[in-house]
Amino acid sequence: MSVSAPARQRILGSIRAATRSVATESARLADAYAALPRPYLRRGRLSTEARIELMIERLREYDAEVVESTPAELPAAISAQLAASGKRIFAAPQGLPAEWLVPGFEWKIDSGLSTAEIEMAEGVVTAASAGVADSGTIVLHHSGAEGRRVLSLLPDWHLLVLRASQVVETLPEYFDRCQHPPALITWISGPSATADIEMTRIKGVHGPRFLHVILVRDEN
Amino acid sequence: MRPVASERPVLDPALAPPFPQAVLPVLRNPQLRKNVAHAIDVIQAKRARLVAEKTDWQELRSAASAIRMHALENLGFYLELFEARCTAAGGTVHWASDAAEARRIIIEILRQENASEVIKIKTMTAGEIQLNPFLEANGVSAFETDLAEIILQLGEQEPSHIVVPALHINRSQVREIFARRMGLKDLSDDPKELTNAARAYLRRKFLTIPTAISGANFLIAETGGVAIVESEGNGRMCLTLPQTMITLAGIEKVLPRFQDLEVMLQLLARSATGERMNPYTSLWTGVVPGDGPQRFHVVLLDNGRSSILAKTKERQTLKCIRCAACMNNCPVYRQTGGHAYGSVYPGPIGAILTPQLMRMHHAQSLPFASSLCGACYEVCPVKINIPEVLLELRAHVVNQERGRLSRFLDPLYLGLRIASFLFANAWSFHAAQFFGRIGLGLFTRNDGWIHALPSVGGKWTQTRDLRGLPPQTFHAWWAARGPRPGTEAK
Amino acid sequence: MRASLFITCYNDTLYPETGRAVVQLLERLGVELDFHPKQTCCGQMHANTGFRGEAFSQAKRLVRLYRDAETVVIPSSSCVAMIRDQYPGLMDELGNDSLRKDFAALLPRVYELSEFLIDRLGVEDVGAYFPHRVTYHASCHGLRGINLGERPWRLMAKVRGMELISLPNLDRCCGFGGTFSVKNAEVSSAMLAVKLQDVVSTGAEYCTALDNSCLMHLGGAMHRQYAGMKTIHLAQILASTEASPAEAAA
Repeated sequence: MSVSAPARQRILGSIRAATRSVATESARLADAYAALPRPYLRRGRLSTEARIELMIERLREYDAEVVESTPAELPAAISAQLAASGKRIFAAPQGLPAEWLVPGFEWKIDSGLSTAEIEMAEGVVTAASAGVADSGTIVLHHSGAEGRRVLSLLPDWHLLVLRASQVVETLPEYFDRCQHPPALITWISGPSATADIEMTRIKGVHGPRFLHVILVRDEN
Repeated sequence: MRPVASERPVLDPALAPPFPQAVLPVLRNPQLRKNVAHAIDVIQAKRARLVAEKTDWQELRSAASAIRMHALENLGFYLELFEARCTAAGGTVHWASDAAEARRIIIEILRQENASEVIKIKTMTAGEIQLNPFLEANGVSAFETDLAEIILQLGEQEPSHIVVPALHINRSQVREIFARRMGLKDLSDDPKELTNAARAYLRRKFLTIPTAISGANFLIAETGGVAIVESEGNGRMCLTLPQTMITLAGIEKVLPRFQDLEVMLQLLARSATGERMNPYTSLWTGVVPGDGPQRFHVVLLDNGRSSILAKTKERQTLKCIRCAACMNNCPVYRQTGGHAYGSVYPGPIGAILTPQLMRMHHAQSLPFASSLCGACYEVCPVKINIPEVLLELRAHVVNQERGRLSRFLDPLYLGLRIASFLFANAWSFHAAQFFGRIGLGLFTRNDGWIHALPSVGGKWTQTRDLRGLPPQTFHAWWAARGPRPGTEAK
Repeated sequence: MRASLFITCYNDTLYPETGRAVVQLLERLGVELDFHPKQTCCGQMHANTGFRGEAFSQAKRLVRLYRDAETVVIPSSSCVAMIRDQYPGLMDELGNDSLRKDFAALLPRVYELSEFLIDRLGVEDVGAYFPHRVTYHASCHGLRGINLGERPWRLMAKVRGMELISLPNLDRCCGFGGTFSVKNAEVSSAMLAVKLQDVVSTGAEYCTALDNSCLMHLGGAMHRQYAGMKTIHLAQILASTEASPAEAAA
């Protein structure tokens, strides 16, 4: 940073001169920010049931496979998904609940897997931090049960376990709940896609081409 | 002057031909015009559908405009906050006054890393500072990882759009480029196959090149975080696999708080690609041990932005979140594509941003590259009144012209100056009408129409006739009519 | 109801028949029209081409001229947009308080023709008869500049004998853009070609609009290409009756 100290001074100097007549004094800045108009929809209006339905609908719109489950049935649901995939080797974050590491498959737990090792996994199973029904977005905060970013990026098949209680309707509601944002966040709203060639939408360029979601009804 | 269709367009505003000249080869290229029109018609339709569905769209626009303007008005504070938070989280923040400084900072970092190759996430800002040629000249190979950018890089072409940079290239042209440069003789032109070819081509690069360069969609002052909005996943690859990440960002990219993303993210994908949300948005803060690059640099770029900040009406230019909705809805861009603007920022936003980044020394034709239809302002998610800024810049350019002797050789300039005197009084206006009718009468054919005019008039009659001036003006008719028939009795 | 007609510089010179139609129409509706003989131009051409200073003088002149007018009617949305969008800025820059006051008082009294008919006179059926197939072009200034909205449609719906055919891609600019039409003549012509395709595809006999600027551009190309269509300002359609049909149009 010291290398560009003169530039820093110059730039901040230009900025200050440019905004002298409009800048708010720092003591009042927080108030000025708080006073900014936010007339857009903050709260969702759907019932819990409708909200979950919308989330599932949006997920299916971008070809994610969605099944519902209950907390008690979750391990069985995971088992079924893994079995149906036809795959055998799965990566998992270090903090994934033990009961999710269902038997019958080879698990690569990420306690420092190399990229080459992750590449050998045919799929990955993670938890999630939130869901936004309006856009069918799943949010990862890369906690212990969600894993490092590379873990849910390299494998071609990704099973996400999303709890109904984590699902909000609107994006502002997600931000409302997220008062202390983590250092790493990935918002997923579909498998990767490109429309760069003649605006023809092609799915699955980089990142998992197959998304499976187990929506756990944990309301009770 | 004959347009040369095969020449690579010059996207350096200091060197590019003026817009009226630059459009000529494009307008004579039906394939290119068709590619562009098709692409933007698709996005336009998708956007329109989603906007219609979003009941609080106008409210989101208002909030976004207010947040962006607040950030700009207090830019110094928020940039310093970003720097502090990013540094505390393990990032290193650099400041670059101009393109040359930014390039120097980046090559210095690469030298420290002993990097001879870098992978890049699509960033228009890097194009703005002409980074790739500079890296090549300094022994660093830069590999684009965004599909459109790969097409352009391998095809040795220039971007023509800020979100879909290769929209002027159709599938058979892509096939030709990939077949030639990737050595894939049997490649078909099916977009799926082409995409798979790109995916395979990139896989090794992602896994082996330890240094990456990115841009930034947003810088979050409150947390020191950086957000990248993408569709393909190449961003996620570049953000997690390498050891070192260098993020180049214009100083205007900063948002005050994390929460502000709730507005921006709702607007951006709908405006840019006609989706409720793009497939992947990544946010990272400084360095996180064990996850992603362990060395993170942010290069904050001024390059003319602070001079734009100083001007009251023009400041709004910097609210831009690079969604490209303006060019997708621009009837001019639809005919010309992006290259004619001679800048990595084309279309309506380019017409106001590019000349201003050049401090009005170059690209003076761009503010005139608009019919002022206002479609851009209507769709801009952050409510940049582009027509208003265009008019400010036009006045600026004309004022530059006023100081030059060459103005006496510009028939339009002279015509408008004279017209101004004529409009100052009714008698001079009427006299001008009288003599104008006589003068134009010389060019008027028997059917009462003018088919060809000299000089500036000739630019009209190239493609349009002009009806000859009627023998009696309206005001003369009114005067001759006398009092309204039937009112005398009152 | 009294109103002062601001004919606009280009209508006065190039399309006096539009002015005559406005007079015929408004007088038929009982409006007492006057015409300030000293009027020239609103300054739009200069302002839009970057000749700010020159536009100032014209703006000043217009504001002074109409200081005492009850209402000002203008058969041109682009000139009305100029007054609404750009005059405030010009007045601010000129910094003359009395002028600014005059302008502030004048502004609410300025009406584009269809606004005057619908908002001020409260009429939709102006007694018009125009037995032709017509398509309507929504000029950008009317559409986005002053948000005419439904007004032209409501007026056209009541014109007897007229078949209104909708224009595809209605909100796409025709490419005129004032001096853009000559400064960027080639792009303007490309946009015109695209627009003309849409207009001709309607199979209408006439293309109408509330701005002769667009019609000059469209009509000029129609004439050059022997397109078998003509342009006509909407005022002329609205003024047209069985007894007094519209003057032979361009």
